[in-house]
Amino acid sequence: MNSAMSANFPAVTTAPFTRDPNTPPFLEVRDVHKHFAGVKALRGVSVTIERGQIYHLIGENGCGKSTLIKIISGAQPADAGSLVIDGREVQRLSAIEALSAGIETVYQDLSLLPNLSVAENIALTQQLVESGGHLAHRLDLARLAGTAARALGAVNLPSDRRFLSTRVDELPIATRQLIAIARAIATDAKLVIMDEPTTALTKREVENLIGVVNKLSAQGVAVLFVTHKLDECKSIGGRAIVLRDGQKVMEGDIAEHSKRDLSYWMTGKVIDDVRYRQAEMGTERLLEVCTLGRRNSFRDVSFSLNHGEILGITGLLDSGRNELALALAGVSPADHGTIGIEGHAVRLVQPTDAIAAGIGYVPEDRLSEGLFLEKPIRLNIIAEVLDRLLGRFGLLDVRRSRAFAQGIAQDLQIVTPDLGNPVQSLSGGNQQRVLIGRGLTIKPKLLVLHGPTVGVDVGSKDTIFRIIQKLAGDGMGVIIISDDLPELLQNCDRILVMRRGTVAETFDAESVSEDALYHALVAETASRSLS
Amino acid sequence: MTDFALGAGASSRVGHASPARVFGWLVRHPPVFTLILIVIVSIVVGAINPTFWQVASLFDMARAAVVKGLFGLGVLTVLAAGGLDMSFTAIAALTMYLITRTTADYAPGTSIAVILALGAVGGAIFGAVNGLLVHYLKAPALIVTIGTQYVIRGFLLTFIGTELFVNIPVSMDAFGKYELWRTTTQAGTVAILPAYVLVLALAAVVTWWILNRTIMGRAVFAIGGSPAIAERLGYDLRKVQVFVFTYAGLLAGVAGIIFVSSNRLANPFDLAGTELDVIAAVVLGGARITGGSGTVIGTLLGVVLVTLVNNVLILAGIPSTWQKFVVGCFIVLAGTVFAMRVRR
Repeated sequence: MNSAMSANFPAVTTAPFTRDPNTPPFLEVRDVHKHFAGVKALRGVSVTIERGQIYHLIGENGCGKSTLIKIISGAQPADAGSLVIDGREVQRLSAIEALSAGIETVYQDLSLLPNLSVAENIALTQQLVESGGHLAHRLDLARLAGTAARALGAVNLPSDRRFLSTRVDELPIATRQLIAIARAIATDAKLVIMDEPTTALTKREVENLIGVVNKLSAQGVAVLFVTHKLDECKSIGGRAIVLRDGQKVMEGDIAEHSKRDLSYWMTGKVIDDVRYRQAEMGTERLLEVCTLGRRNSFRDVSFSLNHGEILGITGLLDSGRNELALALAGVSPADHGTIGIEGHAVRLVQPTDAIAAGIGYVPEDRLSEGLFLEKPIRLNIIAEVLDRLLGRFGLLDVRRSRAFAQGIAQDLQIVTPDLGNPVQSLSGGNQQRVLIGRGLTIKPKLLVLHGPTVGVDVGSKDTIFRIIQKLAGDGMGVIIISDDLPELLQNCDRILVMRRGTVAETFDAESVSEDALYHALVAETASRSLS
Repeated sequence: MTDFALGAGASSRVGHASPARVFGWLVRHPPVFTLILIVIVSIVVGAINPTFWQVASLFDMARAAVVKGLFGLGVLTVLAAGGLDMSFTAIAALTMYLITRTTADYAPGTSIAVILALGAVGGAIFGAVNGLLVHYLKAPALIVTIGTQYVIRGFLLTFIGTELFVNIPVSMDAFGKYELWRTTTQAGTVAILPAYVLVLALAAVVTWWILNRTIMGRAVFAIGGSPAIAERLGYDLRKVQVFVFTYAGLLAGVAGIIFVSSNRLANPFDLAGTELDVIAAVVLGGARITGGSGTVIGTLLGVVLVTLVNNVLILAGIPSTWQKFVVGCFIVLAGTVFAMRVRR
């Protein structure tokens, strides 16, 4: 599927927007350079942002898009080049100046303060900016509530007093996403930058988000998406700006370019959207789940899995899919039903039970649940099997553990100069491979992958899918729990759709269409939301 | 469109009051839990020894709570910003020593207003140094302030020793004796509410106002929630860190002056070692040791609870050596209950 990478990329740019020559564009980024510790993150990037337009800054992890965003939002200064806002050249932009110019950023982590209320998270910035960053000012509570209520209305959230005073860490992630956007538009935003806004959202929540974005654009607010999800770029529309290796390699109307073209510009490789699943599944039964349930989470879930089979499980955030995954991993155990592995019943009360039963689990959120970010890659790989790598006196056999980690890193094609580097130095795709690698160290019979490619770029996805297929080919049973429907369609034999805590439908992955799957996903909730 | 988005927190508050809901509400409002502990202790002690139920007990408590309360408000402010101050007793001791000695020796006629102001300024200067150190060294506040505590105590010990004040300025003595309220009990003893409790009342109102009604106050909590995010949103970390430590130092300086005024024969070293008592009180009042939370009312209740245990166990016939034991049990209990909020 990968053709040879072409050596040179002449920058491709379609004609700029036509506009009144007397008003300058909202923002011009002129020939910006930035390097960190000898690594060139940006090598002369120029971008123009016009009012009310929608842009997509596309590129693989490490291409420089995060750096560019940080420079535009005043979080980091550029080494060379300049920013021109409303025709005025700014040498060094501070975070407060960027905000008062109307540049708002919704970061991937949402940057919400967990211990503050909804109203404060949305509307405090307004008063902070007006005071010029000075803190010795009275807080205007009435204005705080008013601004927050207005912004919440714009993103279709309630704005009653109870909701305004709710602490943000008590709310689900989709709501937090909308609150982050409400904050961005609470004040006079001219440009809203959204850093991978859809990573944690289900498709329906994404549609709600797209509605909000179109509303903004109609009001003359420019929106800049930072993403590598090409499907969503295509459905939102607008102008694509592709970065690779710190340079702009392409800019143009996203409707005029195919997904295949765009991923070629991103990666320098031709990647087709094909079905990875080729092998046949085995005939021996591996897993038997019978009427599994957990109070207030899911109920009456039954399915089976053969050796070498790949099963997809999907559903909306509240469908119980996440809780089912956690039950299979022994993290939050089921309180009803049975799980059998190769004919033997197993009790999964804590994660070590799952490991002992031969179930490898790769968690959904690699940053908070999966990886020890500051620790070396090597230690992250061997963390689950320390007891099998002991040498004399019960101490860790360093030589053996190095060789072991090296072997796993090779199998999973983890790209790093040194396995002693902290795992956070790796790109998202490589981090995910470390996590899968760790799941494999216990030599599992069954691998449960929870969102295996969340926040992973196209090129890395390709590698991860190949690894999954190879594992299944070797006879391992694999369960992929994900809301990325193309991912499931490309990799699975069967797909279970969960709704309201139970398995509602089962599809053959080869014959079902993405649309049919999506409709099954939202079937009842769609009618619920109308009432 | 928004059915999926409604908050779990918002929805769980409606409906009937079941035990689980009441408990959930309690966990969300830690000061209420503190208040319940206070009521329980009072009822138990009062049942064993009815002499507890008199105005004199209340006045004694108020008197004993002032210094701890001032310290507690400072600890709360630093804790809300995600730090922990261990040096406030040392700051109070040094400030009160320098000011009392200097005024007693060179200007014995100085008015109490000036002395209190000097205490505030002196404490604030030491606090500001703490804040700058914490900010520029990028070291944990706990470690930095343990360091400054040792430096200050070492300085006191080397140059002053454990010397008692022989005489204090007249105005301080008068301030310590000034009565806000006097009443004679049925037993014929006199119960006095000293005027300096007003200093704690004023400090509590000011602290509440700063934390809840100024941008600085919200910035303090913002940074306590997540310094990295707060900085990205445009909050100035340096200003906030210097502010919280300066403010804690200011309160410590004032507390030091009140300590001398009310005890007359005071030794600066009497305050040393009470840090954990104060931090315990603030944590019992519902502030999380990890920062970003806490209320003024909770802190005051926590101080009342600790003072109550320290003062009245003796009335119930429990040896005073058991005070720490009881406070310790309360901390474990409260810590467990407050942690449930995080787990839910």
